[in-house]
Amino acid sequence: MDMILAAMGDAFTWQALLAIVIGTWAGIIIGGLPGLGSVVGLTIFLPFTFGMDVITSMALLIGVYCGSVYGGSITAILINTPGTPQSAATTFDGYPMTQQGRVDEALGWATFASFFGGVLSCVLLIFCAPQLAKFAVNFGSIEVFALVCLAMLCIVGISRGSLLKGLVCGMMGFFFSTVGSDPITGADRFTFGTYALSSGLDLIPVVVGAFALSEVFVRFSARNEEATIIPEARLRFPNLREIGRRLIELVRGSFIGSFVGALPGTGAAAAAFISYAAAQKLSPRRANLGKGEPDGIIASESSNNAVTGSAFIPTLALGIPGDVVTAMMMGAMVIHGITPGVRLMVDQAQTVYALFVVLIIVNVAMLVLSKPSIGLFRYLFKLPLGFVMGGIVMFSFIGAVSVRGNPLDLVVAALTGILAYVLRRGGYPLAPLVIGMVLGPALESSLRRGLLISRGDFLSFFTHSGIAATLFVLIGLFLVWTTMAGVLDWRAKIAARREPVSPSSSRA
Amino acid sequence: MFASLIHPRVLTALALLLAGAGLSITAWQGPDNAMLVPRIVLTIWCVVALAILIGELIRRVPVKRVTLTPLPLLMAAILIAAIATASLGFLIPALPLVALTLWLFRIRRPLPLLLGTIVIGGGLWFLFHHVLMIRLPALLTNGVI
Repeated sequence: MDMILAAMGDAFTWQALLAIVIGTWAGIIIGGLPGLGSVVGLTIFLPFTFGMDVITSMALLIGVYCGSVYGGSITAILINTPGTPQSAATTFDGYPMTQQGRVDEALGWATFASFFGGVLSCVLLIFCAPQLAKFAVNFGSIEVFALVCLAMLCIVGISRGSLLKGLVCGMMGFFFSTVGSDPITGADRFTFGTYALSSGLDLIPVVVGAFALSEVFVRFSARNEEATIIPEARLRFPNLREIGRRLIELVRGSFIGSFVGALPGTGAAAAAFISYAAAQKLSPRRANLGKGEPDGIIASESSNNAVTGSAFIPTLALGIPGDVVTAMMMGAMVIHGITPGVRLMVDQAQTVYALFVVLIIVNVAMLVLSKPSIGLFRYLFKLPLGFVMGGIVMFSFIGAVSVRGNPLDLVVAALTGILAYVLRRGGYPLAPLVIGMVLGPALESSLRRGLLISRGDFLSFFTHSGIAATLFVLIGLFLVWTTMAGVLDWRAKIAARREPVSPSSSRA
Repeated sequence: MFASLIHPRVLTALALLLAGAGLSITAWQGPDNAMLVPRIVLTIWCVVALAILIGELIRRVPVKRVTLTPLPLLMAAILIAAIATASLGFLIPALPLVALTLWLFRIRRPLPLLLGTIVIGGGLWFLFHHVLMIRLPALLTNGVI
């Protein structure tokens, strides 16, 4: 109890509260601008945090993260264009409601469901993270190796695009993490005689290049597209009776989001679609879904915002980020002296509880700031794209170079941006690249330590402990399942290709 | 056959395979202990890149008509500005880069272009470098610019 009170003392400082208000408000705006998502928002705000203390800086970044996930729903409802991929499912019912003149009701449900999902997942985080951390203390090098392998496979397997392309991107990210001095022997790896590369590649310039700069290139390619006419944006919160009628939908969406968010590699977009699919099966008003039914918005928004809290469970307790956004948050935590992992809840419990409190305050701030933010969107949509993109380029440069003050990081960001653009055009998912870079060092050090423990016998990894054996079995099952799914998908595609040919051939 | 070979997706897969192979050679020439994991990673990279290349060749996605865009100019400008920062400091390469970005995104009236460059380029640099005291690379040793 003393710990929680002390954590509340850390979170309720004027600096942290100001950071929450600014971060959440900016996150809503950034999330609402199509194409800029949580990662771009975090990229822009990361350099501002370097002069701040740990809690204030994390409050700002958590505000941007949660705000941007909610902000994506505003454009999804107003112009049928989700500001972030997480809000794609919100368009199914949000935009039809706008077309029916119910934009205020749609935005009200989106805001309330986001708040509800976010707070519920924070409560779950407070209860689950310490339990998981207690269990995580049993993890040695070999168990960590198996766990990271499983997480990496899940992330590659579930990432958008082909499995092989996800795997090659994951290996690329893993390779990036090996550049520089070897942490065990000190030998230089892939430095090609360049002294500046001895310190290795930093995560932030790679993320900045892969997401922010490549987004500028993608937007530049599509700059000829016409602007959309924006309807009047208003917001009306649902009353208690309306909330009571749809409470089950709110709770179901929030639980689905919380569960999916805690699994590595899934993220808010997957949670929103799974929750929407559940609503299609279970909602009493399911016949209206897709035609402007608030249950659709509730399913999507409560689940995608529930992910924001639960995604911190594996990140904080195990040091395994669930997606790119949490990988970036993890990078930011390391910069500010918090090292996520099995020891975090023991060594820095007060800081972790302060982050939980910050998460709850952010969700409240999101509810309060929603009304003034939505009014701003009518003006923001009129801002020329060039100013937004010029700003992103500048923030990307500042973000990349200010982490270590090394100008080489700028070159890394620029090259990664060009590489990421080419990969995006080729249908390669970028999330495995970043996750590979984050998990790479843990995977390498745990493998090499494990080999030292087992005197070079890799086969003994499988029988080292019950946890390790279970994890390796799960890896095997995942590989079998992925291979079978791939073969079935391939067969279905072959069959689909053959079908249209048969009528013409029969006529001939 | 030749047309399918110069498809961007095939070229990307080929470039990935060649990059992986080149890095593998470096990894196999390095010390055994330090290069153990990179060797495994790069071997998987090469095998998967080869599978992707074969897949792209079999798939035969139709080649889109190539149109000239100034995108390579924007990419080159960002890369040149990034390289120049090491010797010229942050501000001097950033200003023309922001101006070019605004110009390419069709902000071409002189006043918005000038104001945009000064506010986005110079303003943000001043905010971080002099107000927030987050030091960016500087041209002069005293750090003024």
